[in-house]
Amino acid sequence: MASSLLASSSKRALARRGPAFAKTLLVSRPATTQSDALYVPGGPIYKGTVNDPTSFPTPSRVHGSHHWSFERLLSASLIPLTGAAFATSPSVHPVLDGILGVSLVVHSHIGFDSMVVDYLHPRKFPVLGRVATWTLRTATVGVLLGVYQFNTNDIGLTELIGKVWAA
Amino acid sequence: MSILSRRLPRLARQFSSSAARCLATPVAEKPVLNKEFKIYRWNPDEPATKPTLQSYTIDLNQTGPMILDALIKIKNDVDPTLTFRRSCREGICGSCAMNIDGQNTLACLCRIDRNAAKDTKIYPLPHMYVVKDLVPDLTLFYKQYKSIKPYLQNSNPPADGTEFLQSPEERKKLDGLYECILCACCSTSCPSYWWNQDEYLGPATLMQAYRWIADSRDTQTAERKEVLQNEMSLYRCHTIFNCSRTCPKGLNPALAIAEIKMQLAAD
Repeated sequence: MASSLLASSSKRALARRGPAFAKTLLVSRPATTQSDALYVPGGPIYKGTVNDPTSFPTPSRVHGSHHWSFERLLSASLIPLTGAAFATSPSVHPVLDGILGVSLVVHSHIGFDSMVVDYLHPRKFPVLGRVATWTLRTATVGVLLGVYQFNTNDIGLTELIGKVWAA
Repeated sequence: MSILSRRLPRLARQFSSSAARCLATPVAEKPVLNKEFKIYRWNPDEPATKPTLQSYTIDLNQTGPMILDALIKIKNDVDPTLTFRRSCREGICGSCAMNIDGQNTLACLCRIDRNAAKDTKIYPLPHMYVVKDLVPDLTLFYKQYKSIKPYLQNSNPPADGTEFLQSPEERKKLDGLYECILCACCSTSCPSYWWNQDEYLGPATLMQAYRWIADSRDTQTAERKEVLQNEMSLYRCHTIFNCSRTCPKGLNPALAIAEIKMQLAAD
C-alpha cells in the first residue's frame, strides 16, 4: 500500500515537473549507462519507489577489470621503459624509443578519457561530452601519427629530450 | 493526582537545590566560555531564500563536550527551529553525520574545540540534497546500498538445519568491514561520488559489497563481482583516500575497494 502510494506520487511528481523535459533527458542518454535518478532543480526524481534498489549497467569486462588491469600495467611498465630508453642509445634501439612514445600517448589517452568520464560524461553533457571524447580520440591518433613520423624520419623522442636537456 | 504531578518536578528541584546549599564547600562557579557556532540553515518552506550561516553563541561550560551536545543545547535553549538528525549520541547509529569544520564526522563523536577565539562551522554532508538545515537526503545512498544485496545469499543451507559454520580465519576477514554504520561520511567526502553519485556506488556501499564478497558463507560471490564489471559502479574510484581519512569509525573503505579491484583483475 505504502509503496504503491509512493509510486503513484512519484509518477505524479514526474508529470508535474514537465514530461517533455524528462523525456528529452532520458532520450539523450547513451544506451550503455542508465541513470536511476533524474536530476532536476529541487531534487532528484528516482526511478521506481524509494525502496527499489538502483540498477547496474550491463556488465562488461572490457570497461571494467580489463581496462583497469591494462591501465595499471601500462603505468607500472612506463617506469622501467623510461629508464631503459634513456640509458640506451635511441639510434641503436629505435623500437624501444617507439614503444616508449606509444605507451606515453596511450597512458595520457586513458588519463584524459578518465577525466572526460568523470567531469563531462555524455549522460550529463550530451553534446559537450561527445565533443570532448571525439576531440581526445582525434588528438590521440594525431599524436600517434606524429610520434611515428618523428621516430622514423627525425631524431626520435629520447634524443629530442636529451638535446633539449643539454641545450 | 494532577496537583501532585504538577508539584513533583518542583519538589525535585527544591530538593536538589537544597542539597547543593548543604555542601561543606560551595561548588565554584565555572567561568563563562562563550564560543560561536556558525550553522548552515535552509528552510524548505521558503525555497527561494538562499541558505545562510546562522551564528549561535553558547557557554561551553554549560554544555557537554561534544558537538552534538552543543547542537542540542542550541535547539533547547536558543532556537528550536534548528533541524538535525540524532539518535544514539554514542557513534553507533550514524544519524548525526555532518560536516564539522570541514571534516565529515559524527557530531556525537566530535569534541568541541575549546578555543573560544575560533568559531566552529557546521554544514550538512557535502554535495547532497538538503531536506532542511543539517538533514541531507540519503534516499539514493540507501537505494545504492540495497542494490548490492547486503544480505547472506547461500543456496545450500547446512543439511542439519543449524547455522553456517566459519573458521576463525574466515571470520577475521570481515573485521573492519562489518562495523560500518552507514553514516555516509565517507561517500559524501569522495569527489568521485560528488560528481557521479547517480552511477558510482561510493565507498560505503562498495565496502559493504566487499564485505559480502569476502564472506565465506556467501555463495553468490561471482554474481556480486560481475555486477561491478563496468565503467561507473566501481572504477570511478581514483584512490583519493578521503573515505579512509574521514571515517569516524576508523574503518578503511579504500582498502576494501582496492581488494575488490584486485579480485576482479584476478578473475
